[in-house]
Amino acid sequence: MEGVLWYVLTGTRGGSNRARILRALDERPRNANKLAEALDLDYKTVRHHLDVLKENDIVRDTGDDYGAVYLPTDRARQNWETIEEIIRNAL
Amino acid sequence: MASALVDAVRLLTVLNLFVLLGLAAVWGRNWWELRSKHAFGLLLFAVLLIGENALGAYLFLLDPTVSAWIGDPKLVPPPAQYAMAAFRALEFVGLAFLSWVTYD
Repeated sequence: MEGVLWYVLTGTRGGSNRARILRALDERPRNANKLAEALDLDYKTVRHHLDVLKENDIVRDTGDDYGAVYLPTDRARQNWETIEEIIRNAL
Repeated sequence: MASALVDAVRLLTVLNLFVLLGLAAVWGRNWWELRSKHAFGLLLFAVLLIGENALGAYLFLLDPTVSAWIGDPKLVPPPAQYAMAAFRALEFVGLAFLSWVTYD
């Protein structure tokens, strides 16, 4: 999991925005629309980042419909120290 | 045939160089922003391969001695040209896939 986090959050083009998304979801789970607003990012960009985070089992959503709320997975929580370390530099 | 293979080597060397410059830009920016040793490792990997392909591009395209030498099938027989083209092609496939996952 740690390797996945380092790669997804620091090895890819969208890494630092994904780190910001993750921090926002840790503060408070929310849907893609609210995330886009809070982080001043394009809605489609946020959706794409959420898909990548989901594919890597870093976040999960509460349902499949439009308003689905996203939150960090248990696996991500177990490795939160790593995420913190990455986020500290990303902001 | 021989010269087509040499042209493939030249083309792929230049293509690899551009793909690597794109990757280095992403990893370099991430390293600058995030200061992670992981992003730095990826950047270092790209920089070293940029060196390899830049040197290759210079030697195979510009250097008067080496570029004439690899184009001459009497001096560099086809099996060697096949091998050189295969190395470049394999590298290109690897880098193309890596770009696809990195630009995500």
